[in-house]
Amino acid sequence: MDISMVYIAASIILGLGALATGIGFGLLGGKLLEATARQPELSNQLQVKAFIMAGLLDAVPMIGVGLAMYLIFVVAG
Amino acid sequence: MKARQSRITHVPLARWLIIEFISLGIISLIWLLHSVLAGYSAFIGGLIFIVPNAWFVHRVYRYQGARSAHLMVASMFRAESIKIALTAVFFAAVFTLIEPVHVPALLFTFAVMVLAGGVIRWLVRPQPWR
Repeated sequence: MDISMVYIAASIILGLGALATGIGFGLLGGKLLEATARQPELSNQLQVKAFIMAGLLDAVPMIGVGLAMYLIFVVAG
Repeated sequence: MKARQSRITHVPLARWLIIEFISLGIISLIWLLHSVLAGYSAFIGGLIFIVPNAWFVHRVYRYQGARSAHLMVASMFRAESIKIALTAVFFAAVFTLIEPVHVPALLFTFAVMVLAGGVIRWLVRPQPWR
């Protein structure tokens, strides 16, 4: 197996993970600001919900980071 | 002018950490039945999740309240970036500096802790100060 394919695979995992997390956090943060501007009295509840959603949002990209580091430092290294 | 940092919501960070360390201990003990190498690898995998996540929680709840909404969102974005960067650095450090390491135990425990972390935050939610 060509070692360059391993680096390409790791970079695809990291890149797509970063892209998806960026889009997700952008939408989440935008909606949080919008909802807080509409109903400021609910800001604390909205922050709690946004925080829980942030934890769910970055679960898969975090596992992807672990797999990519494994590919780079163990499989290719 | 720096925004006032008010504490409106009580964040149960200590309770989350205790539950996470108990879960990590149980998973590490199960892997310890396989071998000592798998046991400590599983413990390291859990720590790789817990330490950046504790940083994330600490930074996200730095600002609270509707007046600090923009600071709250900016702090969340910054904390998430640093969390992912810290996770990548910790994985790189473990794979290069610690020899030998049981990779399936490390990655499996990390993945389980990531999923368990979401469930713990869902079950033990931050509450408003009474």
